[in-house]
Amino acid sequence: MRQAGTYSGIFSAGISGKTGPHSLPLARIKKIMKKSGDDVKMISGEAPIVFSKACELFIQELTQRSWTETIQGKRRTLHKEDVASAVIATDIFDFLLGLVSNSSCSSIDPPVAEH
Amino acid sequence: MERGSGFYRYHKHAKYGSGLNMEQASRDSDDHETNVPNAANQPNNLPAATRRGDNANNNTNPTKEVREQDQYMPIANVIRIMRRILPPHAKISDDAKETVQECVSEYISFVTGEANDRCQREQRKTITAEDVLWAMGKLGFDDYVEPLSLFLSRYRESEADRSSILRDIFHHKRGTTATIDIGGGAAAGAMSTPLYMQTFPIVDQHQHHHHHHHGIDSPMLGGVYYGFAQGNAGEGNGSDGAGGPSSSQNGFSSYDPYAPFK
Repeated sequence: MRQAGTYSGIFSAGISGKTGPHSLPLARIKKIMKKSGDDVKMISGEAPIVFSKACELFIQELTQRSWTETIQGKRRTLHKEDVASAVIATDIFDFLLGLVSNSSCSSIDPPVAEH
Repeated sequence: MERGSGFYRYHKHAKYGSGLNMEQASRDSDDHETNVPNAANQPNNLPAATRRGDNANNNTNPTKEVREQDQYMPIANVIRIMRRILPPHAKISDDAKETVQECVSEYISFVTGEANDRCQREQRKTITAEDVLWAMGKLGFDDYVEPLSLFLSRYRESEADRSSILRDIFHHKRGTTATIDIGGGAAAGAMSTPLYMQTFPIVDQHQHHHHHHHGIDSPMLGGVYYGFAQGNAGEGNGSDGAGGPSSSQNGFSSYDPYAPFK
């Protein structure tokens, strides 16, 4: 069944407006999703698409809050410590506390969330 | 090296063949505690596939030494998104970039875990987009739910449009509005790119009933031009780091509307 909006839709929202030439790779997202637990069985195709956008929002919020810390320290370079401060200061980022607090070895910790 | 062995494992898994096992297989290859034992190339049934995961094999995967990039989002994409909201003069230290990169993976795992818990409670096997949205709301990311719902519905509309166009192209005149899943959409999209150009005027003629009898020339081309120009400009440098599976996922995006006019 053809709708009136089809034609315009495919060019404005349809092709490149979908998730863009993806800002974040869906396959990678799916991979990380599967690693989040052994019992993750199947993942709908739409779930990584939602995540691709959600991660953008998340990165932006985290960066914004970290940058606020940078500015407060009267610096121009965003450091890891700023990210850590932002995480500590923000309730919804509590799940990242473990990741940012052990500063010496956090870069080699696998990001497996099983708290 | 790590990456090489990853591909090797994928290659092995590919031989398992059955679509049923692919989910399981790719999960095994993601699992760094275990590896696929060579001797375990057993017949292609589910119990065997499940059992593979239990056989520990310690000849690869020094997970602790190597910072495996394939468990994170590509760093270039992460940096690009960070820069979007930082002032132009801002500098980002390398460790901050890596930390944010790790946080993203943690975030995905965190939300997926919650969504998966819900699925298990409700005895469902597939994590849907709604589960993800629900989990975000539950975990305090309420602010994301609305924009993401909008994003999702826009995506669904575009998929429906795309599948209806594809149906037109392939002359499948079914009355159903079956949606094409991502994989199928990608395959069909990539495959049909030349076809799409050929049948473009046909599609337009169909649409004449619904539009205000524009000529076939200017509004149509104007629409094409605008749509693609906007898309490309808006997404900007979206192509770097997003190669492989992701770029194949929207076959249309690589389609060059100007090719016939060059």
